Amino acid sequence: MENPEQLIRKGVHHDRLKEGTVKAVLGGLTWGVVLVALLIFGRICWDGAPAVLKSEFPFVDTDFLTAKTETLHVFDDAVGNRHSLPATEYHAWVEKEGSDAVFNEQTYSYSGGGIAGPIAGTALLTLLSIAMALFFGVAAAIYLSEYAKQGRFIGLVRLAILNLAGVPSIVFGLFGFAVFVLAAPVFTEAPSERSLLAIPLGFTWFSFQGWNSSLIAGAATLACMILPVIITASEESLKAVPQGFREASLAMGATRWQTIRKCVLPFALPGILTSSVLSLARAAGETAPIMFTVAVAAKDDLPWEGLSNPFGIFQTQVQALPYHIYTLAARIPSSEFTQRAQYGSVFVFLMMIFLFSALSIILRNRVRSKLKW
Amino acid sequence: MRNTIRFTAASLFAGAMLATNAGAQTISIKGSDTLGAKLVPQLAESFKSKNGGVKFEIAAEGSSTAFPALANGTAQIGMSSRKAKPEEITAARAKGIKLNEVEACHDMIVVIVNKSNPLKKLTKDQVAKIFTGQVKDWSEVGGAPGPISVYTRNTSSGTYKDWQTLAMKGRNYASGSQKLAGNEQIVQETAKNKNGIGYVGLAYAKSNGIHDVTVDGVQPVAANAKKYAYSRACYFYVPENADATTKAFIDYATGAEGQKIAQRLGFVPN
Amino acid sequence: MPDSPTSSSVPADHPFRRKGRGTDGLFKAFFAGNAGLTIVILVLIIAFLIREGAGFFPDYRRELELYRRSGLEFVDLSRKDLTAHEQMSSLLNRAYYAQVNASCRNEFQRSQEAAAIVNYLGEVVAPAQSALQRVLDRAGEEGVPEELQASLSAKYQALLADALAGRAGKGLPPTPHLSSAERAGLLADLKSRDPLSTDDPALVLALQEQLSARQDAAAQPLEDFRAAIDAFADASVALDNLVAESGDTVKAIKEAATLHEIETTKRATLLEAAAKAKKPEDKLQFEAEARAAVTTEAVDFAPALKPVLDRIPEFREANAALSAALAGAGDKLPKRLEDAKAQRYLATFRKGMDAYAIELADTNAALVAWRNDLPIGLGSTILGFVTGREWITGGEWQDFYGIIPLFTGSLLIAVIALALAIPLGVGAAIYTNQLAGRREQNFIKPTIEFLQAIPSVVLGFLGIAVLGTLLQETSMKDSLSWIPGFPIQERLNMFTAGCLLGLMAIPTIFTLSEDALNNVPSSFAEASDALGASKLQTIFRVVCPAAISGILAAVLLGLGRVIGETMVVLLVAGNRIEIPDFTEGLGVFFQPAHTLTGIIAQELGEVPFGSVHYRALFVVGILLFAIVLGINWTAQRMLHKFRIGHD
Repeated sequence: MENPEQLIRKGVHHDRLKEGTVKAVLGGLTWGVVLVALLIFGRICWDGAPAVLKSEFPFVDTDFLTAKTETLHVFDDAVGNRHSLPATEYHAWVEKEGSDAVFNEQTYSYSGGGIAGPIAGTALLTLLSIAMALFFGVAAAIYLSEYAKQGRFIGLVRLAILNLAGVPSIVFGLFGFAVFVLAAPVFTEAPSERSLLAIPLGFTWFSFQGWNSSLIAGAATLACMILPVIITASEESLKAVPQGFREASLAMGATRWQTIRKCVLPFALPGILTSSVLSLARAAGETAPIMFTVAVAAKDDLPWEGLSNPFGIFQTQVQALPYHIYTLAARIPSSEFTQRAQYGSVFVFLMMIFLFSALSIILRNRVRSKLKW
Repeated sequence: MRNTIRFTAASLFAGAMLATNAGAQTISIKGSDTLGAKLVPQLAESFKSKNGGVKFEIAAEGSSTAFPALANGTAQIGMSSRKAKPEEITAARAKGIKLNEVEACHDMIVVIVNKSNPLKKLTKDQVAKIFTGQVKDWSEVGGAPGPISVYTRNTSSGTYKDWQTLAMKGRNYASGSQKLAGNEQIVQETAKNKNGIGYVGLAYAKSNGIHDVTVDGVQPVAANAKKYAYSRACYFYVPENADATTKAFIDYATGAEGQKIAQRLGFVPN
Repeated sequence: MPDSPTSSSVPADHPFRRKGRGTDGLFKAFFAGNAGLTIVILVLIIAFLIREGAGFFPDYRRELELYRRSGLEFVDLSRKDLTAHEQMSSLLNRAYYAQVNASCRNEFQRSQEAAAIVNYLGEVVAPAQSALQRVLDRAGEEGVPEELQASLSAKYQALLADALAGRAGKGLPPTPHLSSAERAGLLADLKSRDPLSTDDPALVLALQEQLSARQDAAAQPLEDFRAAIDAFADASVALDNLVAESGDTVKAIKEAATLHEIETTKRATLLEAAAKAKKPEDKLQFEAEARAAVTTEAVDFAPALKPVLDRIPEFREANAALSAALAGAGDKLPKRLEDAKAQRYLATFRKGMDAYAIELADTNAALVAWRNDLPIGLGSTILGFVTGREWITGGEWQDFYGIIPLFTGSLLIAVIALALAIPLGVGAAIYTNQLAGRREQNFIKPTIEFLQAIPSVVLGFLGIAVLGTLLQETSMKDSLSWIPGFPIQERLNMFTAGCLLGLMAIPTIFTLSEDALNNVPSSFAEASDALGASKLQTIFRVVCPAAISGILAAVLLGLGRVIGETMVVLLVAGNRIEIPDFTEGLGVFFQPAHTLTGIIAQELGEVPFGSVHYRALFVVGILLFAIVLGINWTAQRMLHKFRIGHD
């Protein structure tokens, strides 16, 4: 507490009451915000945790995480007992008891089973998009920090990064839809009629007709969205590597690329990866860009099931957690029977995001303490 | 670095492969929310329990989404709560797909109000006036005083257009109407607003917090399907050259068992 | 940034050096290419937004031209009057009923309370009741198995007992306006009611009768008023019929024209398909279909429209009837109504009379002056989009694309969000940076940053599931009814959305403001202290002004985030495409609205590619892009221009 600034200030207090009031008001506002944040978190945990956690070992109810999404059937049997069963169990039940034994049936779409599909979809989407964004982003950052000199081009690049970072996510959705879904190039036997340009290659066509709504289109859209974040963060990590490292390497006669590869990148990598975990959270959390580029509300298969070839996974549409939550929020009523699916999904989603965020903070601190020069 | 390059190559290759179709036994169904929110998922689930190995993808964003998807080959079955427009049929035909129309079931559009609303009956004229915004207060149609909140489906919905033709003589909706994504949402908002009014498919009219309204003296129950003013048919659209599984599903849906499920959910069998 | 490599002693033509240089050049080009990718993406975004959106104005213009040529516009001239007339009659009707019901408030409440009890009981016992009903319906001749009947009846009785004791759900509704004897009687009645009966208990019927008797009594002295309203409302019958009839005619014209256009396109597409077809039999078939495609002739608008235009005198006559009714109404209406609400409606009617009369007169001139062959300029199409007050799509009659309702929605929500986020965000930043202790800081900062990490769709979900209902129920409290707009009618409204967006903007504003405060050189504060200023003076007179550019930039960036946010407004704002009713004062914030971002998210998935509607959504996207970019750009400028005390 004994820092000089406060020591200096100690001597002067004109109006303690006034100061106290202002401090109380501002403090009240601040703690109000903090309280709201905690309330939100508490509410989601309170209602969502029961779907995923249980009181006995191993404390995690894996059913919710590994089962597919189904319709929930709520009904009374002949003696008046209430059942709520997901579709597969329901059909087994009906098969056994006969459909005449079902009374007062109510059905809730998407509310039974678990959220394996959305989790798998989000995982794939995020990984694919972060891989693309890292590849292009780090390369761009290397250019900015290691090669570029002040000039027109670099000015333009910085302007583009700045502007890209501010583009609303729904505009990225429009962009992804117009470019990746409708206009990106593919090789095809027969170009579709919405093709912008089809170049004959003899045995096949190179046609700008888009990738349709698919995993790769969605991932590409997300990658564009997080690219500026990755570039900025990577550039910072690269610049944090002391200049002496480069000078020493260059003085030894290494080329610029050798210097970067052996003396700069290895030291910057932890920082780059840390910041990319944070963009992972952002990519996983966005809904608007994937609404039209990849997401479907219901799908029986997990993304990798039922493919005719392993690359088919890039062409499938997938469920995604944020879109699933949107569906649960907008499409089905909230009631005691849907609460498990709704709050459970939100809880899992939030935990995922926080895990990423927390991971990035921890990594950042470790990297900082480890790499000191 | 080499790995990343390989990865990019793989991605590009994957992109190139996109034009070929993946997944053999997946039936993709797109279109109407009226059919797609409850009936079709349950038909599919029940069909699956009898024929293992079939997978379904169901997207219910509104009837208008069915036809582009059919034409592009991204859906095998289209659901629609209205008849296809000629230009939609032509667009598909131009891509070499001839669409067959199959009547899925009949549906009645039911006017719903909040449970606490004492109003039990309206005339067709009053309904039209409420939805076009000529009548703004419940007291004008004999209810307890309070400004009317109108909830409608959004524009892609077949119900949105059907309602315009059936109930409003083609006039525009009141500008104060709120456009919601699905039947369930209309039910929910009406249940939360004591001055709310909305329309939903018969299957949704028995939810908590709302009650239906008798129109021109006819109660909206399945038995009155012929007399009721706002009845309509719902359709499946299937390409003529659909594969056997798709056809089997359609036969199942329109057959005795499928119609039984439809009836249980509150639709009117053919 | 390192300088270019210093020249080494290795000779220029040495293979090592050449090799290094060569690949190095390649690497440099590769990295530069990747850096250029950002520019490419930005250019692609702009290019494709414009490419998809650019076609909108010509297409929309063509649609508007068809709207004019087929005479829909002509009918709309009169329809506008008709709508205005309907609004005026509705005002009178509302005034009338408000006056009638004013004296029946007690009866209304009694009746509603009784009905609420019946509803509550009905809802609780519904499962058992409907099961019983179904069993009976199915039973047929052999009757219901006794065991089943007994178990269901037992269940019914159990539920009923629960309900009567108020144990189910929220408990028995209170009945402050019913005497306790009445309440007890009602409950007893319901208890002894046959499980399958849905008849209303005697008390409910009696209360309804009382209510209608009271209403009749209240209507007695207002008979003249009623007659005046009816006379006024009936005056529109002639115009109503005319508009309906000519509406059918012009709609038929438009449909014929559209059909012909469709058929022509169909022929073109089929011919194209035929040209591309590989197999000769396919080709032949496509060609045959193409020949059969066009079955109608092009519409000749002028003669088709003649029957409608010939009726102009009739239109004018009907118009005159409206004017006469309006002029007549002024005298026949009561001077004052006792009920405040009724009087307000009446006053609004009187205020609107002049404007309506002028509108009627204008229509008379417009009807004659209207021509169906006047061209529509591109400029007026664009103006119509930018200043349009209607966004009507997927309609039977005519689609209009006007941005104003969406824009006002976005703007009002942003106002609410910022009104919350600026004091909270900036206040929290000042507190945390200047007043809080180290330990407090270490708790506050991560928690607020944690807010930033919450995905918007989660906040939207909470808005629907928790906040909307919470606000609505709070607003129902009588003690809060003085707040404008309370009680809130719509659960999903701009205020709810604004609160959540405010919550999203707080971390942005907080973090950036805190940075700005942090960046103020400590010498500023030290100098101020040395001059004897108090801590508050130092904070508010020295540190904050020095950081003001950073704080303003933070607020602007927060605004950018709020305007561009999609999921929260899509889920929570209520999706009503209408310019909010500003006459309600501050209550306007509790109305639902639609936004620029919301409309794209809601409608893009469902429009056919390349249609006017599809293109309109891209134009909205361009607008959004421009607005947000403008805001961010201003913020950046502000940061750079007014930077104080930086090395």
